[in-house]
Amino acid sequence: MDEQALIHDAQKGDLESFNTLILHYQDSVYNTALRILGDDDLAADATQEAFISAFKSISSFRGGSFKAWLMRTVTNACYDELRRQKRRPTTPLEPDTDDGDEMDSPRWLADPNMTPDQKAEADELEHALQHCLNNLPLEFKSVVVMADIQGMDYSEVAIAVRVPLGTIKSRLARARLRLRECLQGFSELLPTSFRLEEGSNV
Amino acid sequence: MNRRDLELLSSYLDGQLKPSETARLEARLSTDPNLRAVLDDLRSARGLLRQLPLRKAPRNFTLTPKMVGKNPPLPRSYPAFRFVTALASLMLFFTLGLNFLGPQMASSGYSGFGGGGAPEVFSAEEAPAAAPEAAMSEPPATEAPAEPAIQMQPLPTATVAPAQDSATRELQTPDEKNGVTNTTDVQEQPQASNRLPSIPPSWQLVLAAIAALGGLVMVLMRQAAASQWRRK
Repeated sequence: MDEQALIHDAQKGDLESFNTLILHYQDSVYNTALRILGDDDLAADATQEAFISAFKSISSFRGGSFKAWLMRTVTNACYDELRRQKRRPTTPLEPDTDDGDEMDSPRWLADPNMTPDQKAEADELEHALQHCLNNLPLEFKSVVVMADIQGMDYSEVAIAVRVPLGTIKSRLARARLRLRECLQGFSELLPTSFRLEEGSNV
Repeated sequence: MNRRDLELLSSYLDGQLKPSETARLEARLSTDPNLRAVLDDLRSARGLLRQLPLRKAPRNFTLTPKMVGKNPPLPRSYPAFRFVTALASLMLFFTLGLNFLGPQMASSGYSGFGGGGAPEVFSAEEAPAAAPEAAMSEPPATEAPAEPAIQMQPLPTATVAPAQDSATRELQTPDEKNGVTNTTDVQEQPQASNRLPSIPPSWQLVLAAIAALGGLVMVLMRQAAASQWRRK
Protein backbone atom coordinates (compact mmCIF):
# COMPACT_ATOMS: atom_id res chain seq x y z
CA MET A 1 0.00 0.00 0.00
CA ASP A 2 1.45 3.34 -1.09
CA GLU A 3 0.14 5.38 1.81
CA GLN A 4 1.40 8.73 0.57
CA ALA A 5 -0.20 8.28 -2.84
CA LEU A 6 -3.49 7.24 -1.26
CA ILE A 7 -3.43 10.24 1.06
CA HIS A 8 -2.64 12.51 -1.87
CA ASP A 9 -5.56 11.13 -3.88
CA ALA A 10 -7.87 11.33 -0.87
CA GLN A 11 -6.94 14.97 -0.44
CA LYS A 12 -8.17 15.50 -3.97
CA GLY A 13 -11.51 14.00 -2.95
CA ASP A 14 -10.98 10.41 -4.05
CA LEU A 15 -13.14 8.41 -1.66
CA GLU A 16 -11.91 5.05 -2.90
CA SER A 17 -8.34 5.91 -1.91
CA PHE A 18 -9.51 7.00 1.50
CA ASN A 19 -11.49 3.78 1.89
CA THR A 20 -8.31 1.83 1.23
CA LEU A 21 -6.67 3.74 4.07
CA ILE A 22 -9.70 3.02 6.26
CA LEU A 23 -9.40 -0.71 5.64
CA HIS A 24 -5.77 -0.55 6.67
CA TYR A 25 -6.31 1.44 9.87
CA GLN A 26 -9.81 0.54 10.98
CA ASP A 27 -8.71 -2.12 13.49
CA SER A 28 -6.30 0.27 15.22
CA VAL A 29 -8.81 3.09 15.25
CA TYR A 30 -11.60 0.85 16.51
CA ASN A 31 -9.43 -0.64 19.27
CA THR A 32 -8.37 2.81 20.43
CA ALA A 33 -11.99 3.88 20.61
CA LEU A 34 -12.96 0.64 22.32
CA ARG A 35 -10.35 1.04 25.07
CA ILE A 36 -11.15 4.70 25.62
CA LEU A 37 -14.90 4.26 25.64
CA GLY A 38 -15.11 0.71 27.05
CA ASP A 39 -18.13 -0.15 24.95
CA ASP A 40 -18.19 -1.80 21.55
CA ASP A 41 -21.24 -0.01 20.16
CA LEU A 42 -20.01 3.39 21.22
CA ALA A 43 -16.58 2.53 19.87
CA ALA A 44 -18.06 1.58 16.50
CA ASP A 45 -19.98 4.85 16.38
CA ALA A 46 -16.92 6.86 17.32
CA THR A 47 -14.82 5.03 14.73
CA GLN A 48 -17.30 5.79 11.98
CA GLU A 49 -17.55 9.42 13.05
CA ALA A 50 -13.78 9.66 13.18
CA PHE A 51 -13.38 8.40 9.62
CA ILE A 52 -16.08 10.73 8.31
CA SER A 53 -14.46 13.63 10.09
CA ALA A 54 -11.02 12.56 8.87
CA PHE A 55 -12.13 12.47 5.24
CA LYS A 56 -13.72 15.89 5.50
CA SER A 57 -10.63 17.42 7.03
CA ILE A 58 -7.94 15.44 5.25
CA SER A 59 -6.82 18.55 3.42
CA SER A 60 -5.50 19.77 6.79
CA PHE A 61 -3.09 16.82 6.97
CA ARG A 62 0.35 18.24 6.27
CA GLY A 63 2.45 15.11 6.36
CA GLY A 64 4.10 13.21 9.21
CA SER A 65 2.50 10.22 10.87
CA PHE A 66 -0.88 9.58 9.33
CA LYS A 67 -1.66 7.13 12.12
CA ALA A 68 -1.05 9.83 14.73
CA TRP A 69 -3.29 12.20 12.77
CA LEU A 70 -6.03 9.55 12.62
CA MET A 71 -5.64 8.85 16.32
CA ARG A 72 -6.18 12.52 17.07
CA THR A 73 -9.41 12.35 15.09
CA VAL A 74 -10.65 9.25 16.87
CA THR A 75 -9.68 10.66 20.27
CA ASN A 76 -11.75 13.74 19.51
CA ALA A 77 -14.64 11.54 18.38
CA CYS A 78 -14.38 9.63 21.68
CA TYR A 79 -14.41 12.88 23.66
CA ASP A 80 -17.54 13.93 21.79
CA GLU A 81 -19.12 10.55 22.44
CA LEU A 82 -18.33 10.75 26.15
CA ARG A 83 -19.79 14.26 26.31
CA ARG A 84 -22.96 12.92 24.68
CA GLN A 85 -23.03 10.06 27.17
CA LYS A 86 -22.83 12.51 30.04
CA ARG A 87 -25.92 14.25 28.75
CA ARG A 88 -27.79 10.97 28.32
CA PRO A 89 -28.33 8.03 30.69
CA THR A 90 -25.39 5.64 30.40
CA THR A 91 -25.65 2.13 29.05
CA PRO A 92 -23.96 -0.80 30.82
CA LEU A 93 -20.40 -1.43 29.71
CA GLU A 94 -20.95 -5.17 29.64
CA PRO A 95 -23.28 -6.52 26.99
CA ASP A 96 -26.59 -7.93 28.11
CA THR A 97 -27.98 -11.36 27.31
CA ASP A 98 -31.24 -11.71 25.45
CA ASP A 99 -32.97 -11.91 28.81
CA GLY A 100 -31.52 -8.58 29.78
CA ASP A 101 -29.05 -10.01 32.31
CA GLU A 102 -25.52 -8.75 32.29
CA MET A 103 -23.06 -11.29 30.95
CA ASP A 104 -20.19 -12.28 33.23
CA SER A 105 -17.89 -12.74 30.32
CA PRO A 106 -18.62 -10.60 27.32
CA ARG A 107 -19.35 -12.68 24.27
CA TRP A 108 -17.48 -10.28 21.98
CA LEU A 109 -14.21 -11.13 23.67
CA ALA A 110 -14.43 -14.79 22.75
CA ASP A 111 -11.58 -16.24 20.69
CA PRO A 112 -12.51 -19.59 19.15
CA ASN A 113 -8.90 -20.85 19.31
CA MET A 114 -8.67 -20.62 23.11
CA THR A 115 -9.37 -23.41 25.53
CA PRO A 116 -12.14 -22.66 28.02
CA ASP A 117 -9.57 -22.02 30.77
CA GLN A 118 -7.53 -19.68 28.61
CA LYS A 119 -10.65 -17.91 27.55
CA ALA A 120 -11.79 -17.46 31.12
CA GLU A 121 -8.35 -16.19 32.06
CA ALA A 122 -8.19 -13.74 29.16
CA ASP A 123 -11.74 -12.58 29.80
CA GLU A 124 -10.95 -11.84 33.42
CA LEU A 125 -7.79 -10.01 32.54
CA GLU A 126 -9.45 -7.95 29.86
CA HIS A 127 -12.40 -7.23 32.09
CA ALA A 128 -10.14 -6.06 34.90
CA LEU A 129 -7.99 -3.95 32.61
CA GLN A 130 -10.96 -2.31 30.95
CA HIS A 131 -12.45 -1.58 34.34
CA CYS A 132 -9.22 0.10 35.44
CA LEU A 133 -8.92 1.99 32.16
CA ASN A 134 -12.46 3.25 32.57
CA ASN A 135 -11.50 4.71 35.94
CA LEU A 136 -8.63 6.73 34.50
CA PRO A 137 -9.04 10.40 33.70
CA LEU A 138 -9.64 10.86 30.00
CA GLU A 139 -6.35 12.61 29.28
CA PHE A 140 -4.42 9.75 30.94
CA LYS A 141 -6.50 7.10 29.26
CA SER A 142 -5.93 8.33 25.72
CA VAL A 143 -2.18 8.52 26.30
CA VAL A 144 -1.84 5.06 27.82
CA VAL A 145 -4.06 3.49 25.18
CA MET A 146 -1.98 4.93 22.36
CA ALA A 147 1.41 4.28 23.94
CA ASP A 148 0.90 0.89 25.58
CA ILE A 149 -1.92 -0.69 23.62
CA GLN A 150 -1.33 0.77 20.16
CA GLY A 151 2.44 0.78 20.62
CA MET A 152 2.85 4.34 19.33
CA ASP A 153 6.02 6.20 20.25
CA TYR A 154 5.99 9.28 22.43
CA SER A 155 6.26 11.76 19.57
CA GLU A 156 3.30 10.19 17.75
CA VAL A 157 1.22 10.30 20.92
CA ALA A 158 2.23 13.93 21.42
CA ILE A 159 0.99 14.75 17.90
CA ALA A 160 -2.23 12.84 18.46
CA VAL A 161 -3.01 14.46 21.80
CA ARG A 162 -1.49 17.84 20.91
CA VAL A 163 0.50 18.23 24.09
CA PRO A 164 4.26 18.55 24.63
CA LEU A 165 6.43 15.46 24.90
CA GLY A 166 7.13 16.14 28.58
CA THR A 167 3.40 16.07 29.32
CA ILE A 168 3.09 12.75 27.53
CA LYS A 169 5.85 11.26 29.71
CA SER A 170 4.21 12.57 32.84
CA ARG A 171 0.72 11.41 31.92
CA LEU A 172 1.94 8.00 30.86
CA ALA A 173 3.86 7.45 34.11
CA ARG A 174 0.92 8.47 36.24
CA ALA A 175 -1.51 6.42 34.15
CA ARG A 176 0.64 3.32 34.57
CA LEU A 177 0.87 3.96 38.29
CA ARG A 178 -2.88 4.32 38.64
CA LEU A 179 -3.46 1.20 36.59
CA ARG A 180 -1.06 -0.71 38.75
CA GLU A 181 -2.89 0.41 41.88
CA CYS A 182 -6.24 -0.45 40.37
CA LEU A 183 -5.10 -3.86 39.16
CA GLN A 184 -3.85 -4.77 42.62
CA GLY A 185 -7.49 -4.78 43.64
CA PHE A 186 -8.06 -7.48 41.04
CA SER A 187 -5.01 -9.57 41.96
CA GLU A 188 -7.11 -12.48 43.22
CA LEU A 189 -9.20 -12.44 40.09
CA LEU A 190 -6.23 -12.28 37.79
CA PRO A 191 -4.42 -15.43 36.70
CA THR A 192 -1.22 -16.14 38.67
CA SER A 193 1.03 -15.17 35.79
CA PHE A 194 -0.52 -11.72 35.73
CA ARG A 195 -0.44 -10.99 39.45
CA LEU A 196 1.46 -7.91 40.43
CA GLU A 197 3.89 -7.76 43.26
CA GLU A 198 2.63 -5.94 46.28
CA GLY A 199 4.42 -3.99 48.93
CA SER A 200 6.25 -1.34 46.97
CA ASN A 201 5.79 2.15 48.31
CA VAL A 202 4.94 4.33 45.40
CA MET B 1 8.23 8.05 45.44
CA ASN B 2 8.16 11.48 43.92
CA ARG B 3 6.68 12.29 40.54
CA ARG B 4 10.05 12.94 38.96
CA ASP B 5 11.30 9.45 39.84
CA LEU B 6 8.08 7.94 38.60
CA GLU B 7 8.47 9.67 35.24
CA LEU B 8 12.10 8.60 35.06
CA LEU B 9 11.18 4.98 35.69
CA SER B 10 8.36 5.04 33.17
CA SER B 11 10.55 6.63 30.49
CA TYR B 12 13.36 4.21 31.36
CA LEU B 13 11.00 1.33 30.63
CA ASP B 14 10.41 2.74 27.17
CA GLY B 15 14.06 3.52 26.53
CA GLN B 16 13.33 7.24 26.37
CA LEU B 17 16.08 8.44 28.74
CA LYS B 18 19.35 9.97 27.68
CA PRO B 19 22.39 7.73 28.24
CA SER B 20 23.53 9.87 31.17
CA GLU B 21 20.08 9.72 32.80
CA THR B 22 19.94 5.99 32.21
CA ALA B 23 23.31 5.47 33.87
CA ARG B 24 22.32 7.51 36.92
CA LEU B 25 18.99 5.72 37.28
CA GLU B 26 20.55 2.29 36.91
CA ALA B 27 23.02 3.17 39.62
CA ARG B 28 20.17 4.12 41.94
CA LEU B 29 18.19 1.01 41.00
CA SER B 30 21.11 -1.21 42.02
CA THR B 31 21.03 0.23 45.52
CA ASP B 32 17.32 1.05 46.05
CA PRO B 33 15.01 -2.00 46.27
CA ASN B 34 11.96 0.24 46.58
CA LEU B 35 12.78 1.88 43.27
CA ARG B 36 13.22 -1.56 41.72
CA ALA B 37 9.84 -2.67 43.05
CA VAL B 38 8.13 0.32 41.50
CA LEU B 39 9.89 -0.33 38.22
CA ASP B 40 8.69 -3.94 38.30
CA ASP B 41 5.14 -2.82 38.98
CA LEU B 42 5.18 -0.34 36.14
CA ARG B 43 6.66 -3.00 33.87
CA SER B 44 3.92 -5.44 34.86
CA ALA B 45 1.19 -2.87 34.25
CA ARG B 46 2.64 -2.03 30.85
CA GLY B 47 3.02 -5.74 30.05
CA LEU B 48 -0.62 -6.38 30.87
CA LEU B 49 -1.76 -3.56 28.64
CA ARG B 50 0.41 -4.83 25.82
CA GLN B 51 -1.13 -8.26 26.14
CA LEU B 52 -4.59 -6.94 25.51
CA PRO B 53 -5.65 -8.57 22.26
CA LEU B 54 -6.26 -6.34 19.28
CA ARG B 55 -9.94 -6.72 18.48
CA LYS B 56 -10.97 -7.01 14.89
CA ALA B 57 -13.26 -4.21 13.78
CA PRO B 58 -16.85 -5.51 13.98
CA ARG B 59 -17.50 -4.28 10.44
CA ASN B 60 -15.91 -2.30 7.67
CA PHE B 61 -16.03 1.43 8.29
CA THR B 62 -15.56 2.40 4.66
CA LEU B 63 -17.42 5.51 3.64
CA THR B 64 -20.09 6.00 1.03
CA PRO B 65 -20.51 9.26 -0.90
CA LYS B 66 -23.75 9.86 0.97
CA MET B 67 -22.01 9.63 4.35
CA VAL B 68 -19.61 12.40 3.44
CA GLY B 69 -22.16 14.44 1.53
CA LYS B 70 -20.41 13.95 -1.76
CA ASN B 71 -22.21 14.02 -5.07
CA PRO B 72 -21.25 11.64 -7.85
CA PRO B 73 -18.90 13.18 -10.42
CA LEU B 74 -20.93 14.59 -13.31
CA PRO B 75 -19.79 14.59 -16.94
CA ARG B 76 -17.78 17.58 -18.12
CA SER B 77 -20.55 18.63 -20.47
CA TYR B 78 -22.99 18.97 -17.56
CA PRO B 79 -22.27 22.66 -16.86
CA ALA B 80 -22.84 23.48 -20.56
CA PHE B 81 -26.27 21.83 -20.45
CA ARG B 82 -27.05 23.63 -17.23
CA PHE B 83 -26.11 26.97 -18.76
CA VAL B 84 -28.15 26.39 -21.92
CA THR B 85 -31.16 25.21 -19.92
CA ALA B 86 -31.00 28.14 -17.58
CA LEU B 87 -30.58 30.62 -20.41
CA ALA B 88 -33.46 29.12 -22.42
CA SER B 89 -35.71 29.16 -19.34
CA LEU B 90 -34.81 32.74 -18.62
CA MET B 91 -35.46 33.85 -22.16
CA LEU B 92 -38.71 31.92 -22.26
CA PHE B 93 -40.01 33.63 -19.15
CA PHE B 94 -38.82 36.97 -20.42
CA THR B 95 -40.61 36.61 -23.75
CA LEU B 96 -43.74 35.30 -22.06
CA GLY B 97 -43.68 38.22 -19.71
CA LEU B 98 -43.10 40.65 -22.53
CA ASN B 99 -45.98 39.28 -24.60
CA PHE B 100 -48.31 39.10 -21.65
CA LEU B 101 -47.52 42.39 -19.95
CA GLY B 102 -46.80 44.44 -23.07
CA PRO B 103 -50.40 44.93 -24.20
CA GLN B 104 -51.57 45.43 -20.62
CA MET B 105 -48.99 48.10 -19.99
CA ALA B 106 -49.87 49.76 -23.26
CA SER B 107 -53.60 49.74 -22.56
CA SER B 108 -53.04 51.20 -19.11
CA GLY B 109 -50.92 53.91 -20.60
CA TYR B 110 -47.46 52.52 -19.99
CA SER B 111 -45.46 52.14 -23.12
CA GLY B 112 -42.01 51.83 -21.67
CA PHE B 113 -39.89 51.82 -18.63
CA GLY B 114 -39.93 55.61 -18.39
CA GLY B 115 -43.66 55.93 -18.93
CA GLY B 116 -44.47 56.00 -15.25
CA GLY B 117 -42.85 59.38 -14.80
CA ALA B 118 -45.14 61.24 -17.16
CA PRO B 119 -48.09 61.90 -14.85
CA GLU B 120 -45.89 63.27 -12.11
CA VAL B 121 -44.18 65.62 -14.54
CA PHE B 122 -47.52 66.66 -15.80
CA SER B 123 -49.02 67.29 -12.36
CA ALA B 124 -46.01 69.19 -11.18
CA GLU B 125 -45.89 71.45 -14.14
CA GLU B 126 -49.63 71.82 -14.34
CA ALA B 127 -49.98 73.00 -10.77
CA PRO B 128 -48.79 76.58 -11.34
CA ALA B 129 -51.15 76.98 -14.27
CA ALA B 130 -54.06 75.80 -12.20
CA ALA B 131 -53.10 77.96 -9.26
CA PRO B 132 -54.65 81.20 -10.58
CA GLU B 133 -57.96 79.46 -11.02
CA ALA B 134 -57.69 78.16 -7.52
CA ALA B 135 -56.85 81.60 -6.22
CA MET B 136 -59.91 83.09 -7.89
CA SER B 137 -62.21 80.72 -6.07
CA GLU B 138 -60.37 81.68 -2.86
CA PRO B 139 -59.79 78.31 -1.30
CA PRO B 140 -57.52 78.04 1.75
CA ALA B 141 -53.87 78.14 0.75
CA THR B 142 -53.27 74.61 1.91
CA GLU B 143 -55.98 73.24 -0.33
CA ALA B 144 -54.58 74.91 -3.42
CA PRO B 145 -52.77 71.81 -4.69
CA ALA B 146 -55.79 69.63 -4.06
CA GLU B 147 -58.03 71.38 -6.48
CA PRO B 148 -55.80 71.06 -9.47
CA ALA B 149 -55.36 67.45 -8.57
CA ILE B 150 -59.09 66.97 -8.78
CA GLN B 151 -59.21 68.80 -12.03
CA MET B 152 -56.47 66.67 -13.39
CA GLN B 153 -57.94 63.39 -12.26
CA PRO B 154 -59.17 62.30 -15.63
CA LEU B 155 -55.89 63.25 -17.17
CA PRO B 156 -53.50 60.58 -15.92
CA THR B 157 -55.21 57.84 -17.87
CA ALA B 158 -54.97 60.03 -20.85
CA THR B 159 -51.48 61.33 -20.30
CA VAL B 160 -49.52 58.50 -18.74
CA ALA B 161 -48.83 56.84 -22.03
CA PRO B 162 -46.95 59.55 -23.77
CA ALA B 163 -43.45 58.41 -23.54
CA GLN B 164 -43.36 59.81 -26.97
CA ASP B 165 -41.83 63.23 -26.84
CA SER B 166 -44.50 64.93 -28.85
CA ALA B 167 -47.27 63.86 -26.55
CA THR B 168 -45.31 64.88 -23.49
CA ARG B 169 -44.57 68.24 -24.99
CA GLU B 170 -48.25 68.79 -25.61
CA LEU B 171 -49.03 67.99 -22.02
CA GLN B 172 -46.31 70.24 -20.76
CA THR B 173 -47.80 73.24 -22.51
CA PRO B 174 -51.25 73.32 -21.02
CA ASP B 175 -53.84 75.97 -21.76
CA GLU B 176 -57.58 76.20 -21.84
CA LYS B 177 -57.66 73.70 -24.73
CA ASN B 178 -56.09 71.03 -22.68
CA GLY B 179 -59.16 68.93 -22.52
CA VAL B 180 -59.31 68.71 -26.26
CA THR B 181 -55.68 67.90 -26.80
CA ASN B 182 -55.77 65.20 -24.13
CA THR B 183 -58.66 63.53 -25.82
CA THR B 184 -56.72 63.30 -29.03
CA ASP B 185 -53.80 61.79 -27.07
CA VAL B 186 -55.98 59.08 -25.67
CA GLN B 187 -57.05 58.16 -29.12
CA GLU B 188 -53.44 57.83 -30.14
CA GLN B 189 -52.53 55.33 -27.35
CA PRO B 190 -53.71 52.11 -28.93
CA GLN B 191 -51.73 52.88 -32.01
CA ALA B 192 -48.60 53.27 -29.92
CA SER B 193 -49.12 49.95 -28.10
CA ASN B 194 -49.67 48.16 -31.34
CA ARG B 195 -46.18 49.11 -32.27
CA LEU B 196 -44.70 47.16 -29.26
CA PRO B 197 -42.53 44.25 -30.39
CA SER B 198 -44.19 40.91 -29.86
CA ILE B 199 -42.20 37.64 -29.64
CA PRO B 200 -43.55 35.07 -32.08
CA PRO B 201 -44.97 31.97 -30.35
CA SER B 202 -42.75 29.77 -32.46
CA TRP B 203 -39.73 31.27 -30.71
CA GLN B 204 -41.26 30.55 -27.34
CA LEU B 205 -41.95 26.99 -28.38
CA VAL B 206 -38.33 26.55 -29.41
CA LEU B 207 -37.12 28.04 -26.13
CA ALA B 208 -39.50 25.82 -24.14
CA ALA B 209 -38.29 22.79 -26.05
CA ILE B 210 -34.63 23.67 -25.39
CA ALA B 211 -35.30 24.23 -21.68
CA ALA B 212 -37.25 20.98 -21.35
CA LEU B 213 -34.71 18.98 -23.30
CA GLY B 214 -31.83 20.47 -21.36
CA GLY B 215 -33.55 19.67 -18.06
CA LEU B 216 -34.22 16.13 -19.17
CA VAL B 217 -30.61 15.59 -20.23
CA MET B 218 -29.43 16.97 -16.88
CA VAL B 219 -31.67 14.59 -14.96
CA LEU B 220 -30.49 11.65 -17.05
CA MET B 221 -26.86 12.65 -16.54
CA ARG B 222 -27.35 12.79 -12.77
CA GLN B 223 -29.08 9.42 -12.70
CA ALA B 224 -26.39 7.81 -14.83
CA ALA B 225 -23.64 9.25 -12.63
CA ALA B 226 -25.40 8.11 -9.44
CA SER B 227 -25.94 4.57 -10.71
CA GLN B 228 -22.32 4.39 -11.91
CA TRP B 229 -21.20 5.55 -8.44
CA ARG B 230 -23.31 2.90 -6.71
CA ARG B 231 -21.84 0.13 -8.87
CA LYS B 232 -18.28 0.99 -7.77
